[in-house]
Amino acid sequence: MSLQPTPSKLNISKKKSNKAGEPLTVRMYDVGFGDCFLLLIPKPDGKKYKVLFDCGSIKLGENSKSMKEMVKLVIKEVKDTSDGSPRIDVLVATHRHKDHISGFDDPAWAEVEVGEVWMPWTEKPNDPKARKIRELHARLAENLVNRLKVAISDDSTNMAAKSSFEMAMNAMSNEGAMNTLYNGFANDPQMRYLPEENASATWFTTPTLPGVTINVLGPSHDPDVITEMDPPAGQSYLKMVNSELNETMMHPLPFRKDWAITPDEYQIKYPFLFNDLSNDDRKYLELASFGMDEGMASVLDRALNGTSLVLVFQIGKAVLLFPGDAQWGSWHLALDNPDLRKLLKTVTFYKVGHHGSHNATPVEFVQDIMGKNVLAMISVNPTSNWPMVPKEDLITELQKKEGCKIARSDKPEEAVHAGFTLIGEGVIEAQVPI
Amino acid sequence: MERLNSKYITAHPIRRPLRIFASDPMQARNPGNRITIEIQNEEVESGPKGSRIEVIDYDGARGCFYPPVDLNDKDILMLNGLEPAESDPRFHQQMVYAIAMRTLENFEYALGRPIEFYKSKTKPRLRLFPHAFYGANAYFDPGLNAILFGYFCADPIDPGPNLPGQIVYTCLSHDIIVHEFTHAVVNRLRKNFIEPTNPDVLAFHEGFADIVALLQHFTFQDILTQEIQKTHAKINTGKSLIELAQQFGYATGANQALRSAINTGSDAMPKRLSPVILEVHERGSILVAAVFEAFFNIYQRRIQDLIRIATSGTGILPSGDMHPDLVNRVAKEASQTAKSILNMCIRAFDYMPPVDITFGDYLRALVTTDYELYPADENGLRGAMIEAFRARGIYPEKVVSLAEESLIWEEPIELPWLDPEKIKWTNEFYTVARNFRPNIINEDVSQKKAPTSSANYKLDNEDDPDSYLAKSLHKYAMENARNLDLDPEHPIQVSGFHTSFRVTPTGQLQTELVVQFTQKDDTETEKMGGIPLRGGTTIVVGTDGRIRYLISKPLPSASLREDARKRGEQRLDRQRAYLAATDLKDPQMAYGDQNYLSQRSKMRMRISALHQGVNS
Repeated sequence: MSLQPTPSKLNISKKKSNKAGEPLTVRMYDVGFGDCFLLLIPKPDGKKYKVLFDCGSIKLGENSKSMKEMVKLVIKEVKDTSDGSPRIDVLVATHRHKDHISGFDDPAWAEVEVGEVWMPWTEKPNDPKARKIRELHARLAENLVNRLKVAISDDSTNMAAKSSFEMAMNAMSNEGAMNTLYNGFANDPQMRYLPEENASATWFTTPTLPGVTINVLGPSHDPDVITEMDPPAGQSYLKMVNSELNETMMHPLPFRKDWAITPDEYQIKYPFLFNDLSNDDRKYLELASFGMDEGMASVLDRALNGTSLVLVFQIGKAVLLFPGDAQWGSWHLALDNPDLRKLLKTVTFYKVGHHGSHNATPVEFVQDIMGKNVLAMISVNPTSNWPMVPKEDLITELQKKEGCKIARSDKPEEAVHAGFTLIGEGVIEAQVPI
Repeated sequence: MERLNSKYITAHPIRRPLRIFASDPMQARNPGNRITIEIQNEEVESGPKGSRIEVIDYDGARGCFYPPVDLNDKDILMLNGLEPAESDPRFHQQMVYAIAMRTLENFEYALGRPIEFYKSKTKPRLRLFPHAFYGANAYFDPGLNAILFGYFCADPIDPGPNLPGQIVYTCLSHDIIVHEFTHAVVNRLRKNFIEPTNPDVLAFHEGFADIVALLQHFTFQDILTQEIQKTHAKINTGKSLIELAQQFGYATGANQALRSAINTGSDAMPKRLSPVILEVHERGSILVAAVFEAFFNIYQRRIQDLIRIATSGTGILPSGDMHPDLVNRVAKEASQTAKSILNMCIRAFDYMPPVDITFGDYLRALVTTDYELYPADENGLRGAMIEAFRARGIYPEKVVSLAEESLIWEEPIELPWLDPEKIKWTNEFYTVARNFRPNIINEDVSQKKAPTSSANYKLDNEDDPDSYLAKSLHKYAMENARNLDLDPEHPIQVSGFHTSFRVTPTGQLQTELVVQFTQKDDTETEKMGGIPLRGGTTIVVGTDGRIRYLISKPLPSASLREDARKRGEQRLDRQRAYLAATDLKDPQMAYGDQNYLSQRSKMRMRISALHQGVNS
């Protein structure tokens, strides 16, 4: 693992930016419950490099436009000033959850030229390790959706099942969107699956974005992080439900049929045993085979979030942290690495992970690592299924930090009050000094 | 004819032989795997339904019952129990019952007193459900007062030595039965050990359950001799001995046994305890590895002379088979060593705090208990144990060194002695002596009660807070709260007391009264996810009434002594930090609602969640 780039290197990039002091901008699109961020970096010739982070939603907010309109808006925004054709220099799909990529399931992208597409290594088509993880996620999502659908139709008031169902739906494979990312733009973009296994450094540069150093903090190839993405629980869960997908929808018989006795018969023959098992206890045992769907849905959700690409862009003085929906595994590795810890201390812009949920931003990062005057953006729209997203405590903690400014996509007025700019309906802009 | 009525003639056999799989059906082809073990002969109905354990074969996945085995059936008796068979549910019931009883016996032997499970009117016994549900899991459920075993289909693609898709029964794995049953016993001995108040608590539950399962392997003579022959007495390489739940592991496609006694690091660099290891099984496996290493070292020491005798003094075994006599002698040493380590590990419970256990506390309890019985440490057991714990970074808090005398719990000099006459302790002696199991079947035959009405079956005073002794102990605690590190501002509960009897190597009867006091502070319970901050103290009293040991976990209270208060504050901080750390790893935290938040610790403490099944 090599050291971080030296400051002198960063100074060079600063010289390259044209007008001294012109800030780079980050735009947050109100997509309801989802993520869509556009990073605009000033070029020496007055134009801008354009980097898009995700474009997806699973539930529109009250004031959000439709996803189709949002996509239109983004594409309009990235039109090159000289020839009017839309071009994105780098397109980042942090992970394959619907709320991050559903917007790519749209033919409009076919006219967009893209320089590079970056995805986590778990999306690399021919990597066997990656494929195994993807297959697990897809099978889990499918099984959960099927089973939870039944649970909800049986009992429409079952909130836990509803919330889990939403989670599983979010994880369902997104063929249309993935096709666009792999093969649906105007040109054939360069694909990068990050970080590369055995990469010599945790950072790289690309001619597509001169003057920008990109640090890749996750998802690691470290076995601990892989366990988070490929939880052993997932395999055992599948084993459990697999047989159920058989035509019978019944569990296999553990013994020859003629061993079984009905409860009535048993009660007559063996009352001294039957009476030691109340009806409630029997019901409880009947549920023991089924109680795991809800827990599994959140395990899967975390597993998929764990594949999130975690990037830190260094552009002059600006240090932008885009953690996707990264979970404990990636954070933990980064916080344990003294070099990356140092880097995180310099962050000036933070895309708050996972819509401000509890596990996506360690308290340690906010309290001990984050510096002063950080601009934070949270793309979120509270939904009744998940009342704890965003987590109020996290927002309070961020507010306590000196000079920290927070913009929430669902509260544009507050963002303006905090010093962000509202540029059109549903688009909040942060200006990050270089 | 009078002779026929004599005690000698009418006495029932003391032991009942029953057949089991020594490991699990995957090893069925191995001749040492089908064995007969002996358990206490108690009155048993179909089920089997004994006085404390009953097997009810209800299949929750299919909503049906399977017929119970009648162990008193003439044909079955003649066969020493049913022949091991996967296809016969009655054999499954027999095996679960036999192994549970054997494990219970090991506990009672080591503790020197009978163990009675929690019971209520509707749940008078610990219930074992051999085919409770469909799933690759098994667990002890305290609410149901039951152990639930699942069954599942082996991995269709990677089943290891199993048949692809074959049904695997967790209730046919010796290790799984012992492991789950041990959870039930530990829960009986220390009911607060399922509250995750620090990283070690649940890991202790898991690790300890594995230790008991592992050490019981060494009581099976046939497997033991086979492995000694196969490995040339290097039993730490014998898979059948050191691996846990082989079939379960392979059948789930893991391509290995569920767990192993030594899979943690290398000999030179064993895996060490660290604050980032939070997964309970992983953390528990470090405890298992430490105990196993101590066992293995003592074993090696004990067979050195045998090997030298057999090799004309070289100590180096020639290649080829070992002499069968030597194998048998080595096996004897191995099983005796395992037995003494198992006893030591179980006896340590009498010297453990009532709440918030750490691995370090456990080491101190081990050292204290062993010192009490064998002050000289002739076998080097304590030394080996201390060294193995040290090598894995398991250090007790607040000790100046790892020397034996600083590890032994302190004797509280400030505390006044209890007056054994005044508290009527001696009344207990008779109760315990009378209720020790082997006597029951022979002495009570004439006035035996129907097994369902076990209500007046009062073996254990831990259930009886109204007894005179309990009241006297409570009074003592109130009068001496501060010196017992108990907070006078919070109610004090006498949550357990018992008398234990042991015979020391010098033939003396050692009698002790072990009392647990607990108290709780509910101010942060909701914040802590549903579990309170608990404090508590265990005292060990000698027959003279002297308080020989004080093992305390104080609350952070200003009314306590300076040192105790500080320890209380540290415990509170530790509990908070542990909660924060587990929150970050809990996938449900992202979406949990307020109700989940206020109950989350409780949810995590379900023993069912302790298993590497679907609950990860």
